[in-house]
Amino acid sequence: MGQESFTAQKRGVGAAATLPTTTPNGGRPAPSLLPRGRQIHKTFNNIKITILCGFVTILVLRGTIGLGNLVSSESDAVNQHLIEETNRLLDEIRSDKDPDDPDNPSEPEYNPNVTYTLGPKITNWDQERKSWLDRNPDFPNYVNGKARILLVTGSPPNPCDNAIGDHYLLKAIKNKIDYCRLHGIEIVYNMAHLDKELAGYWAKLPLIRRLMLSHPEVEWIWWMDSDALFTDMVFEVPLKKYDGYNMVIHGYPDLLFDQKSWIAVNTGSFLFRNCQWSLDLLDVWAPMGPKGPVRDEAGRVLTANLKGRPAFEADDQSALIYLFISQRNVWMDKVFVENAYFLHGYWAGLVDRYEEMIEKYHPGLGDERWPFVTHFVGCKPCGSYGDYPVEKCLRSMERAFNFADNQVLKLYGFRHRGLVSPKIKRIRNETVTPLEFVDQLDIRHSAQGSSGSQS
Amino acid sequence: MTESWFGQRRRRQLQRFLQKGKLTILCLFLTIIVLRGNLGAGKFGTPETDIEEIRETFSFYRKRVEPRRVLEEAETIKNDDASASGNNYATFDINKMFVDEEGDDIKPDPNKPYSLGPKISDWDEQRADWLKRNPNFSNFLGPNKPRVLLVTGSAPKPCENPVGDHYLLKSIKNKIDYCRLHGIELFYNMALLDAEMAGFWAKLPLIRKLLLSHPEVEFLWWMDSDAMFTDMAYEVPWERYKDRNFVMHGWNEMVYDEKNWIGLNTGSFLLRNCQWSLDILDAWAPMGPKGKVRDEAGKVLTSALKGRPVFEADDQSAMVYLLVTEKDKWAEKVYLENHYYLHGYWGILVDKYEEMMENYHPGLGDHRWPLVTHFVGCKPCGKFGDYPVERCLKQMDRAFNFGDNQILQMYGFTHKSLASRRVKRTRNETSNPLEVKDDLGLLHPAFKAVKFSNFFPLVGDITFQSGLAAECAFACQCAFMLDMDSD
Repeated sequence: MGQESFTAQKRGVGAAATLPTTTPNGGRPAPSLLPRGRQIHKTFNNIKITILCGFVTILVLRGTIGLGNLVSSESDAVNQHLIEETNRLLDEIRSDKDPDDPDNPSEPEYNPNVTYTLGPKITNWDQERKSWLDRNPDFPNYVNGKARILLVTGSPPNPCDNAIGDHYLLKAIKNKIDYCRLHGIEIVYNMAHLDKELAGYWAKLPLIRRLMLSHPEVEWIWWMDSDALFTDMVFEVPLKKYDGYNMVIHGYPDLLFDQKSWIAVNTGSFLFRNCQWSLDLLDVWAPMGPKGPVRDEAGRVLTANLKGRPAFEADDQSALIYLFISQRNVWMDKVFVENAYFLHGYWAGLVDRYEEMIEKYHPGLGDERWPFVTHFVGCKPCGSYGDYPVEKCLRSMERAFNFADNQVLKLYGFRHRGLVSPKIKRIRNETVTPLEFVDQLDIRHSAQGSSGSQS
Repeated sequence: MTESWFGQRRRRQLQRFLQKGKLTILCLFLTIIVLRGNLGAGKFGTPETDIEEIRETFSFYRKRVEPRRVLEEAETIKNDDASASGNNYATFDINKMFVDEEGDDIKPDPNKPYSLGPKISDWDEQRADWLKRNPNFSNFLGPNKPRVLLVTGSAPKPCENPVGDHYLLKSIKNKIDYCRLHGIELFYNMALLDAEMAGFWAKLPLIRKLLLSHPEVEFLWWMDSDAMFTDMAYEVPWERYKDRNFVMHGWNEMVYDEKNWIGLNTGSFLLRNCQWSLDILDAWAPMGPKGKVRDEAGKVLTSALKGRPVFEADDQSAMVYLLVTEKDKWAEKVYLENHYYLHGYWGILVDKYEEMMENYHPGLGDHRWPLVTHFVGCKPCGKFGDYPVERCLKQMDRAFNFGDNQILQMYGFTHKSLASRRVKRTRNETSNPLEVKDDLGLLHPAFKAVKFSNFFPLVGDITFQSGLAAECAFACQCAFMLDMDSD
């Protein structure tokens, strides 16, 4: 009897899904006697309870386990939120906004009556410098017979618009570090805007002036753009050639004076002697630079006067050319327009020939056979858009970098696996007498040997 | 009949009671579940935690997407209708460009134990001989100033993190500045010399190669790419290490007594160029080779060292282990420096910069003004770091600016604040620039002075110099040049 009632109850439970309905009869075969109304009432009750239970169940389950894609959407939502946070952080890092500046920094007052100056006029720099050098024999301007050179380069303080730009800035500075270590040159890498008015390509002017005045022991200041790479690690600038000059810049005199071309010289890589003449030149060069109406107006003047120049605001290169042309007598006797070697080498004609150069020539030539500097004008990897296809630019920069790096790695017995490969391979086995290779291959030894030991 | 009816009634009552009982129990059960779902139940947890556990067990891979610590390129690709000719840098995938033209090197024989190179036993003599023959490449630049080569590096491919390269760039600029001020040469490595010793072990073959290729270098200073100089005026006390060959930041008790895996730090250390150093590199290397060797070694290290988590062998733990197990052989020439921050863990330093600027001055190198702030664990170049991204990057900016301020003050500028990239003037331009002295004296510091007499070997002096070099043939014992002025 008990069994029967149990099974009946079980059935009863199963039939009602969750809750057993209060069937007083337990499913026994007597119910046909119940009145119709009562039956309906009961069914109603059952349904109510079923619905209530179903509702509670759904609530509970939703609250704990969720229902299929509500699960992933929850974690997705969290993920999405964090990705947004990360994006916000990246944008904040990349933006020019500064936590200290107010949201709308006030534009500097434009006063057309005041000509911009780099600083108070100095007129006796040569004497000042000479007397300083006499008083400080520990900081001579000639070390081991060579004039002290300071290589200056730089990039903006915020991250590039895209990650690749920063990577190539890093490779470019490594390339400069290597060259300068081999040739005893010091580097200043600038990441600060010293003068808000002279921003962009003009930023080098206040920087050069500041460095000249702070480092009287430096004989030559060598400005080099961040997109220029050394591709001849052995070649040294023949400073003896420039004993009577104060500025060395790559260019072509005929383009400069006859054709008045805006690319007659290149200010991406040039040398400035630390002297009064250079300060004067900087003072005369600067006025076209200040951001705003001055620079725009100057841009129009330059476009009108120089051949081939597109219409845009004044840049330092065009301004210098204009200066050289219009004040030729004042400046040109101390400017050496160099083209015997590539103090600046326009990349387009050079990068495809690297393999040919490796086959036929050797480092130390500095000219079109083995360019000293390969300068990637127009590529602008730090910005968003360049003047040339990205693939070509980056590929060429990688090739130039590896071409130069091979010359550095040669001492260590390695070389890149191809000019576009970041990986290296051994070209010489390890030995127990490494010094014989050092004597043979270290560029510094050959550099010292060739310049001799004159005082 | 009454009895059966009574029994029936009783039975019915019993059934009803049972049914109600079931109902009650079921309702109670549901109530508990609902309450647990909403309020939790202490250590019994909530259903969410249950689900977490289930997820954890089944989808370990998914767990790695811990977004809080991930910095991946989460930006959606902008419209690429302009990229047909491809002048847009944002849409370019640089990894497609790299091509390895030549095949891999011959795979090393797995049965042969790893070695950094053929064993050299007479390096001191070879080097002393070379120095004698090359007086222009002296290993000392001054009486207490050895020739130092600072070595650092990063991977040749772009960082996975879009701002990683920018922080590498700032870091190298920081090192360029310090090295220029202190007359130290710099080597930035971007080449993996040995594929077996990849990752943190890559420095070993590199260091050995540089020691052997640059005999004129007296000390090699390895520095991680995530370490920055924050005291530009502090000059390392070289004379303190005249009898030592290996200087690391650490504590003797923590290494030799506690065997703590962070008892020393190999992110910034000095290694003398001599036979002893080649020997310790050879002893250090065996735990490095990628694969089974490194994993096995990792297990050994975790069990031997205090506090070490479980992961493959790293160079730092291996060094601790080496010093502990072969103390008699190496400890005499190892100096664990803790009087200044040759390596300074960033976590305890970065929040105090403002306080330091107020109370102290550069040139101290210690907790008051750390020489090096080392961002261990931040890994700005990779995707996954051990710390929240925002804290890491913001603090790296602050540390960079803290160091940069000391450089800029030479020229009369400073950052507007430690978080700001902008600079402002601290002194006006003058027409007498040479009369202005920078506060820290970094423009023409004493440690950069060129001792003219030492550099110009006149004919008569060569024998004197070579005699001196011969005396120091056993370079590791005789580790400093006699002061020439005293003769």
